[in-house]
Amino acid sequence: MMLRGIYAIVVLDMKRFWLNRARLFAGLAQPLLYLFVLGAGIGASMGGRMGGGNYQPFIFPGVLGLSQLFTATFAAITIVFDRQIGFFKAVLVSPVPRPAIAIGKIAAGALQAFLQGVVVLPFAWIAQVPFTVGSTIALLGAMALASITFSALGVAVAARFTSTTVFPIVSNAVLLPMYFLSGAMFPLDMAPPWMKVAVFFDPVAYAVDLMRGALLGRFYFNPWLSLGALAVIITLLTWVAVRIFNRGEDDSSLGATNFNWRR
Amino acid sequence: MGLPCAPRPLCWRAVTETAPAPAVSAASQAPAIEVRGLVKRYGEVEALRGIDLTVEAGERFALLGPNGAGKTTLFSILATLRAPTEGGARVLGRDVVAERDAVRREMGIVFQEPAIEQQLSGRDNLLLMGLLYGLTTPAARRRADEILGQLGLADSAGRPAKTLSGGQRRKLELARALVTDPRILFLDEATLGLDVEGRRGFWGHVRGLAAAGRTVFFTTHYMEEAEVADRIALIDAGRIVALDTPRALKSRLGGGVIRLQTEDDTQARAWLTERGLAPEPGTAELMLLHADPAAVLPELLRHLPVKVRRAEVHEPSLEDVFLKLTGRKLGADAPAEKAGGWRGGKGGRGRP
Ligand SMILES: Nc1ncnc2c1ncn2[C@@H]1O[C@H](COP(=O)(O)OP(=O)(O)OP(=O)(O)O)[C@@H](O)[C@H]1O
Ligand SMILES: [Mg+2]
Repeated sequence: MMLRGIYAIVVLDMKRFWLNRARLFAGLAQPLLYLFVLGAGIGASMGGRMGGGNYQPFIFPGVLGLSQLFTATFAAITIVFDRQIGFFKAVLVSPVPRPAIAIGKIAAGALQAFLQGVVVLPFAWIAQVPFTVGSTIALLGAMALASITFSALGVAVAARFTSTTVFPIVSNAVLLPMYFLSGAMFPLDMAPPWMKVAVFFDPVAYAVDLMRGALLGRFYFNPWLSLGALAVIITLLTWVAVRIFNRGEDDSSLGATNFNWRR
Repeated sequence: MGLPCAPRPLCWRAVTETAPAPAVSAASQAPAIEVRGLVKRYGEVEALRGIDLTVEAGERFALLGPNGAGKTTLFSILATLRAPTEGGARVLGRDVVAERDAVRREMGIVFQEPAIEQQLSGRDNLLLMGLLYGLTTPAARRRADEILGQLGLADSAGRPAKTLSGGQRRKLELARALVTDPRILFLDEATLGLDVEGRRGFWGHVRGLAAAGRTVFFTTHYMEEAEVADRIALIDAGRIVALDTPRALKSRLGGGVIRLQTEDDTQARAWLTERGLAPEPGTAELMLLHADPAAVLPELLRHLPVKVRRAEVHEPSLEDVFLKLTGRKLGADAPAEKAGGWRGGKGGRGRP
């Protein structure tokens, strides 16, 4: 039931995603803006000071991360939307275990984020990112991990909200700082000391660093640390999401008195 | 459909009575629904104030009540969407809190509000429901097509649900509830917004599909729908005020009902009260219960000191029963009555 349930939720979300597949291309605008406008501008003004080499290849993994992060968050918003349409009620009265709903949502969001990343990927060529078959495969693996992390993050946050107006505000307040802190746009070695501490608590930092390392061979964290940290973060966020889904708004599992039928 | 079906449009009894008894296991011999001392509070609001109810397996049971009476709340609790504050409920012998997964597997529900994903096609909606209930993709697909065929939706099921007509959408809701072959069906104002034809068709389908001993528990604002129920519970302000067969409920009033519209209802009321005819208190219009209304009406019209605009005599309706019991109108949704036209027919010819 659990696996079937996860599968059903993923099918639901992917079907809806496919209907809105134009969004994949609309979703290109922001990362390309970062890459070719912001990146080109900053890169040119910094000259070669970015730890040697080009700025655009440096931020490319960061831009990938950005597009994945936003796609995952957007996918998570559907949870809030779903609560407002009745269909979700039909899901809630089905025998699918609540954890399957949470995990299915995370899986679907991760899949969408990954696909969005794949669409951004070809622009690496224009940004003059050096890559080989090996580094591409490593990058795809890192992207998958990053997608799951971002999706779990989005779902854990979105599961709490019932209002579509509040969630984007909150997610911006949470996600943007995480993103800026992550070293997606600048090398962390030059960051001020407080940032170097804070970055250890930033899931996005590990994800971006892993992607950058996979692509450019340049790691800030030890890759094993990143892998371990992401594994822990994903587990933790999934657990949080499952717990919230288990509660529901007024779900029967919530502190209901056990009625004594023999009375 | 061996037995003759009464001329009324929504008779479905014949079907169930000839249907073979479903195979019964121990659990299915339990009442379909048992509700004991059920109380539900939303903060300050006490939506249910102690409901006791037993619905037998295979019964068609209607819940009638004005807006805000607590019908949807009761449904949500039975459907495991909300938890009782006090008391308990069992569906097919399973506690809705302790064994909610078992309850969920056995029931289908049509919510008061739409519960189909509008972007997806009807077929996809049903397919997903099937998957959610643990069917394999081919099985879910087969089942979806079967139900769509039965409901006459096969041709429109490929389009996004939002492009369907209101009636088709409501039918799709029913299809969604039925796709998992539930033993008990909850319908919360399932025909809301349908015209008479649409409702007739809808209930026709419910009748056909629910024939195999399924329990159907429903709410409605349309009287002619309630009349098809085996039993009806009238609910008001979170309490059940009466529970009986439609016929027994109506016979509680005895005789018939006279309704009058006059130039001066206050004066007429006073005059009637003086004569011991006791119009029902608290209602906007003048309503009298009488053992033989047709005989007393001519007398009334002759002697009443105020001019009568309109007079009506009819058999008691469920609406009248409700009015008598609570002093309030049942169909707070006025259009509901008009659309059904259930009050027509016997209406007396009044003097202008
Ligand atoms: N989530 C909620 N929070 C607070 N009060 C609620 C909530 N849901 C329902 N109520 C209140 O509980 C009472 C019963 O509502 P319910 O929806 O059960 O009525 P109903 O009989 O279904 O009415 P209708 O015929 O309009 O559908 C109402 O007073 C309503 O305002
Ligand atoms: Mg309701």
